[in-house]
Amino acid sequence: MITRAVLQVVSRADMQAPRPLRHVLTSLLEALGVADPLRGDIVLAVGEALSNAVEHAYASSEGGTVELSATTNDGNTLVVEVADRGTFIERDKNPGRGFGLRIVRNIARDVVIKNDNGTRVRMTFDLGAT
Amino acid sequence: MNQSLFEVIALEGELDIERREELARALTVTTAGPAILVDFSRVRYADSTALAQLLKFRTNAERLGRPIAIVVGEPQFERVVQYAGLTDVFAIFHDRGEALSYLAKQT
Repeated sequence: MITRAVLQVVSRADMQAPRPLRHVLTSLLEALGVADPLRGDIVLAVGEALSNAVEHAYASSEGGTVELSATTNDGNTLVVEVADRGTFIERDKNPGRGFGLRIVRNIARDVVIKNDNGTRVRMTFDLGAT
Repeated sequence: MNQSLFEVIALEGELDIERREELARALTVTTAGPAILVDFSRVRYADSTALAQLLKFRTNAERLGRPIAIVVGEPQFERVVQYAGLTDVFAIFHDRGEALSYLAKQT
């Protein structure tokens, strides 16, 4: 088991991007010794942020990138950021899609969304609950 | 119990935004008919995209008088439902027989 890790992946922001990025995050969590159900919950929350990024961030432009980064300094807390250059949409006209942010907030200990030349969703997870 | 009294829709793998169109096609109900068993027992991952499609599907099926039950394998989908605050919305079962019994009572 490792306690310090840094992950940084940049991907083209298309509908195919979230799945491999989730798999990369899953591998990191496995290396950190994070077990289910917490591992699955973290992957779900980050997956929701990734989906939101690729769905809405570049709706009015061609292409773009989404960046996934994760850091832990002590193995007890994991900070994950999902960043893009678009605009985060918290509510959607499509009923049900708005559940994504609710799911993120119910899993992460802390969620900070910054809109400044793009959108950065910063989620903090406690790993001590494993 | 005669299983031909039920329509079964089986999905598998990871149900996320990449498969939204496929989900929308699979979870379509436009006519009256038998109760529906949605089989998620081979689904490894589902998120709010799947949840949104299921909600729409449930609404349409309910309007047509077709009850729905969902069978899950791994607990992941139940946790998505829980985090979305929709625990009371879906009839979720771990056993196909129990799901079919539930549907039989609804029809």
